[in-house]
Amino acid sequence: MANIQELLNGWSYGQQSNITTPNTTAIWRHTNLNTKPWAQIPVNEDDRAEIGKGHEFPTQTFKSHYNMPTYEISKYASSEFLAWVMSFSLGNVTVAGSSAPYTYTVVPAMGATNPTGLELPYFSFIQQMRPGASAILDELLVGCALKSWKLSIKNSPGRASAMCTADCVTTGQYTSPSGITLPTVYTPHEFNAGMISTLTMNGINYLSGGSGKQFVSMDASWDNNFRPGFFPGSGTQDGYQIQGRFEWGDRAFAVQFVVRVQAGSEEYSNLINQTTGTATIAFTRDTNNSFSMEIQKMGFAAAELSNTDGIATIQVTGTQLYDPTNGLLTVSVTTPQSGICQSAS
Amino acid sequence: MSVPTVFLESPQGDEIKEVEATAKSLGPLMAAGWHQVPAPAKHETVILANSKEEK
Repeated sequence: MANIQELLNGWSYGQQSNITTPNTTAIWRHTNLNTKPWAQIPVNEDDRAEIGKGHEFPTQTFKSHYNMPTYEISKYASSEFLAWVMSFSLGNVTVAGSSAPYTYTVVPAMGATNPTGLELPYFSFIQQMRPGASAILDELLVGCALKSWKLSIKNSPGRASAMCTADCVTTGQYTSPSGITLPTVYTPHEFNAGMISTLTMNGINYLSGGSGKQFVSMDASWDNNFRPGFFPGSGTQDGYQIQGRFEWGDRAFAVQFVVRVQAGSEEYSNLINQTTGTATIAFTRDTNNSFSMEIQKMGFAAAELSNTDGIATIQVTGTQLYDPTNGLLTVSVTTPQSGICQSAS
Repeated sequence: MSVPTVFLESPQGDEIKEVEATAKSLGPLMAAGWHQVPAPAKHETVILANSKEEK
């Protein structure tokens, strides 16, 4: 018996050299607001559909595959976590700096030019409870990929005003015991909504001018919509088939935000006039910790009057357009952590 | 303080550029499929800043 608070989570901030080779050196340990362990679900099938048994009932079971569920890492937004999430989810990453802080610039990889085709970098995930000779749980999950994320900004106090959740997938390959000694818990440099230093949507500045102080909340999300990774030769674990690749499908980038209504609100006119412009959301904590997401071309798909805690608001749904020169979005993160999404040297 | 630079390789693998490590400079190239590579052993510094070449 063990209390769930004993669950330790760690994962590689460095990328694996390929989907089947774990990265066991560039590991960090983080807290997680998701209190569940990453379940392993081996699936058995049976012979109920086969005739010749004399009846319709199953008589034996067979090993089928590992059906690994999506696992959520939920954290307060920080420079380290945002750099990790953006790098592993979008795929084309550069890092600059020979000593801390490091600046990561990230854009979505494109299938035609990505060196690994439709596959993103892979990472390793460790979960442990009382690691050692009498471990309750000690697993190294190999070949994990970042399926989707959500960045939420709210007009509330504290760290919960800027949250980031990441949904991860894994092949089913694992090693137990992990053989990993997790480091001490990393202390990330977290942001809150008060640290927002740029907040412009389609030409409307929500930090100064007529629309200043009118921003209420925002949800931005990305989904790689991975295709199933079972194929001839994809591999096995304990006799069960596992996935051997995660290729992105039709990726989806969504942005919704809520602002207060006021006389002369520009959101409706931007919608009706089909105005497009850049959108930038930036946090600045200090010179070593900042985050900027520039959406290269945003139009408005819908602007709906609403009520938020008794204040008249507009909920705006953005349409994020691909710009032929600048692409879809560019993320820049400055953080003290080196080696994020980098290959083991 | 000078802006750090990174080396990017073209998607065709036939060209390497040294580029200022700013989102404005890197974004268009990365969107076109350029990706980071280690600094070549011998290289001529031709820094691309804001898409304009400066020698």
